[in-house]
Amino acid sequence: MEKQRIVDYLIAFLIILSLNFFLPRLLPGDPLTAIYGDDALLSITQEAKEDLAAKMGLDKPLLEQFGIYLNSIFKGDLGYSYYFQSSVQKLLLGTLPWTLLLIVPALFISTILGFIVGLESGWRYGRLFDKRLLTGFMLLNGFPNFLVGISLLLVFSVSLGIFPLAGAVTPYAQLSGIRLLLDILHHLVLPLTALVTAEIAASYLLTRTTVLTVLGEPFILTARAKGIRTVNIKYKHLGRNSLLPVVTRIAVRLGRMFTAVLLIENIFAYPGVGLLIYRAILARDFLVIQGVLFVVAVVILVTNFLLELLYKKIDPRVIEHAY
Amino acid sequence: MLAVLLIVVGLLAPLLSPYEPTAFSENTLQGPTSQHWLGTNDLGQDIWSRVLFGTRTSLINAFFVAIITVTLAAALGGSAALIGGLYERFILRIIDILLIIPNIVLIIVIAAYLRPGIVMLILILSVFDWPGCARIIRSQTLILKGKAHILAAKTFGGGDLYILFKHIIPDLSPILMSSFIAHARRAVFMEAGLAFLGIADPAMVSWGIIINRALQYSYLSVWYWIIPPALGLAVMVTAFSYVGYALEEIINPRLKV
Amino acid sequence: MKISKRTIILTMIILLLLSLTGCGRENKEKKTVFQEDEVYTIADSTGDWGFPAPYTHYNRGPGYVRMSLIFDTLIWKDKTGSFVGALAQKWEYVEDDTAFVFQLRKDVKWHDGESFTAADVLFTLDYLKEHPYSWSDISLIDRAEALDSHTVKVYLKKAYAPLLANVAGTLPILPRHIYKNINSPLEYTESDALVGTGPFKLVDYNKEHGTYLYAANEDYYLGQPRINKLQFIKIGEQMIPNAVLDGTANTGSIPPELVEQFKAKGLTVLVSDHSWNAKLKFNLQEEPFANKKFRQALAYGIDRKKLVNISQRGHAVIGSPGFIPPDNPWYSSEIEQYDYNPEKARKLLEELGYVLEREFLEKGSKPFTVEILTSGRFSGDAELVKNDLDKLGIKTTVRSMDGKTVDARTTEWSFQLVISGHGGLGGDPAFFNTNVLADTFHSARYKDNQELLSLLNQQLETIDENKRRELLAEIQKIYAIDIPALSLYYPTTYEAMDSKVDLYYTPGGLASGIPIALNKLSFLQ
Repeated sequence: MEKQRIVDYLIAFLIILSLNFFLPRLLPGDPLTAIYGDDALLSITQEAKEDLAAKMGLDKPLLEQFGIYLNSIFKGDLGYSYYFQSSVQKLLLGTLPWTLLLIVPALFISTILGFIVGLESGWRYGRLFDKRLLTGFMLLNGFPNFLVGISLLLVFSVSLGIFPLAGAVTPYAQLSGIRLLLDILHHLVLPLTALVTAEIAASYLLTRTTVLTVLGEPFILTARAKGIRTVNIKYKHLGRNSLLPVVTRIAVRLGRMFTAVLLIENIFAYPGVGLLIYRAILARDFLVIQGVLFVVAVVILVTNFLLELLYKKIDPRVIEHAY
Repeated sequence: MLAVLLIVVGLLAPLLSPYEPTAFSENTLQGPTSQHWLGTNDLGQDIWSRVLFGTRTSLINAFFVAIITVTLAAALGGSAALIGGLYERFILRIIDILLIIPNIVLIIVIAAYLRPGIVMLILILSVFDWPGCARIIRSQTLILKGKAHILAAKTFGGGDLYILFKHIIPDLSPILMSSFIAHARRAVFMEAGLAFLGIADPAMVSWGIIINRALQYSYLSVWYWIIPPALGLAVMVTAFSYVGYALEEIINPRLKV
Repeated sequence: MKISKRTIILTMIILLLLSLTGCGRENKEKKTVFQEDEVYTIADSTGDWGFPAPYTHYNRGPGYVRMSLIFDTLIWKDKTGSFVGALAQKWEYVEDDTAFVFQLRKDVKWHDGESFTAADVLFTLDYLKEHPYSWSDISLIDRAEALDSHTVKVYLKKAYAPLLANVAGTLPILPRHIYKNINSPLEYTESDALVGTGPFKLVDYNKEHGTYLYAANEDYYLGQPRINKLQFIKIGEQMIPNAVLDGTANTGSIPPELVEQFKAKGLTVLVSDHSWNAKLKFNLQEEPFANKKFRQALAYGIDRKKLVNISQRGHAVIGSPGFIPPDNPWYSSEIEQYDYNPEKARKLLEELGYVLEREFLEKGSKPFTVEILTSGRFSGDAELVKNDLDKLGIKTTVRSMDGKTVDARTTEWSFQLVISGHGGLGGDPAFFNTNVLADTFHSARYKDNQELLSLLNQQLETIDENKRRELLAEIQKIYAIDIPALSLYYPTTYEAMDSKVDLYYTPGGLASGIPIALNKLSFLQ
């Protein structure tokens, strides 16, 4: 079973690699025109274009290009983007930290907050507190994340002026140390809030449902009967047992989070991977699209894999439903 | 209730809207007036009419994506469980692999290139959405397979297909219903997201497109333009959530402590 | 009981977050107030336009402008749009030799202290043969020689009028002592690639954040810039107006709807000239679009004024059938104007054999249908044109695709009608040739009319301005009759700024015609 799972992952990885390569190329559009721009201001000779096409390897047959691509991927080389005039690795290294700065805290905060609130809500199932929370979160769940982002930006940055309009740091403010940190936090608040808001409802709803299921289990009744303190039952028994599905879902949510981040980074002009891939798509920059997708896919695959291992260790019963 | 209301609005959109949603006029970017209840957009189109017609687009999209996804999932998941053997393993493999691939990223890339209209959008969303549901259906079918009445049907010579349609599907209907709702909900969300990113066909009349356009004029504080489609979206998604939730309570009576 | 506990913890977390950010705010304010007097900030919605060296900036106007602050050309356009000396003091055309002679300035130093001489100019022209520069076509230069250490004579293969604007006024001169060691300039982004002679030096460029910081070159030969620091920052398009209003930026482009509001607040709003056009392209390889009469029918049948009023909300100039915008010095009004006339359009279509059956046209009892291919920002235009064509009885569908896809299909002639747009109508009228004859997707690729062809070639070789103007008038007349493509409108753009520096849109655009209000001369005292 273990082995088969690993093979699965390898196949998935290969599929991603090939889709990654062929998808952008099979769809229409010429990366050279993107580099040379649509400004009729330019005067480019045919030779210059062919020269660049050769440099980018576009003159070779598709399969040969694929071979080169696979070869360099295994060497850890993601290529050089002639649109961004930079190596893809460098582009990714420049943008990935900012995206992680958004995703990781958002994942933690939304999971933890959602879990706590969901637990409390489920504990009080059917009472007013639970019903209100449920309604509230369902409504929140309904609001598209980009709208939350836009509203935050309009209210707090434009109308109230409390937060910056764009970016991740104040450009050229020559800040250092703690001030720089505060500046970064200051820029982070709104996009992070938007992401957390978008994600917290899902985490809440999931926890709540799980809690309800677990609540019916005999061991809770036993615990109650034993007269264990409520707080202990709630967090030790109920909480631990409800945590599992919430943790497993993280991999799924990571994928979804990436979409959310794409939208949110665009709204806040936040210099992360989402913004990068969006520009790369517009510019038909194959190499950058490939590079970003590759890294994102690998991150998700690895997380998935690790979580699955973890999950099996903790609870061998539920392998069948572990998606 | 809300869901019913939305469906009624979607069906009656042509009757309720005073203008064609795509009709142009030279009265561009007007605030709400008695003629245009929610004002006009940058091309002089009536926003109220567009919001109404947007309901329709969202519903159509949601309905078809959900139908196709659930059908695919039921067919593949159900048959895998019934037929078993190599076929089952094959299907399961595909499901596993597809589940690992972050499909959202692929959807975005494909959409960015194709600028899908409504039909294309439905296809793209459906193709990538079925594996999760198929897995659930397979495991449920497996449980059902061992149940008495199906074994009985089998002993009386019912074929696999017969059993699938006559017994399994009806027994699975609560789960199918709740998957249907979940996928419908996701479809609405995805359409809005793609439209918001500006990678859907701009000629489509949908809430996502309306919001995308409106946001380009956010500096004019066009709240009357942004809020109605956003609210529509929120209400629709919430309505789906409630329906799904209610269904889940029916399926899983243990939730009622 | 428990509820309140939870709530308290939650509130505390939120308060903590808020107080943290509150601190950030204070710090930032102190900083900016302190620096505000010396930094000039330009807001841009894209941010990153590439490493601002000649070969590495992105091939778009904003990329060139960021480079032009560091590198100088031989000549440059001033506020009135006429050429003034930059690295060259004087220049003249020697008709007998078909050559231009440039007298270079003797007081120019590269940013690293080396002196600028004729050798640098010769080197640059040489270097371009090996490493083509996208903004200047030097194929008509035969050879160049140095008459003395500061005089360069450039011999042409034949007379070539655009040389001044598109080479002398566009080509950044490279430092020989540095670039002679750079073998692949497209990938070279070390700091010495940025040694120029211009009024600014680059202090920092950040690709991820899309920011640029420049410092004044105090030894600049035309005088020291009046601001010490110049920065470009990235701000979302919708947020730029707010950034200009609250002083985050000194200048930025604003949407037409805000012009009055900005003026009322005491800010200056600059109005661009019209060097960009939205264009209806025909597939000239396919009937009926290859037929001149059919194209004329469409020109009569499309209400360009309505397009301006609706799709551009009045902030544009109606497209001239002669291609050159009315506010361009080379414009001629002596052309067929094709005022909206559906009757005439229908008559022309009838003459072509189209019969109205019920609502729609048929030819040989086959219904006649047309597909317009378009992308994002033109989808409104396409719908409006469809409306007009439907009225003529041409059953039209609009197909919206991603911009790059549309470009690709245009290149391959796999379309019927395309609506897209392009700029470059501001600079030397050589643009007319590129947009009619060249094999690019913006070009009509129309080579059937021999008279037009020869006039176009002639205008390039005519150095005398008045003669050239006559030729262009004739060219526009023929173009308007043949309509290889139909310009629909030329949009107006606006740039808001405070009073710190008087920016201006350079008439005819910067260098080869870039319509951006950032002429480096406006920063000089």
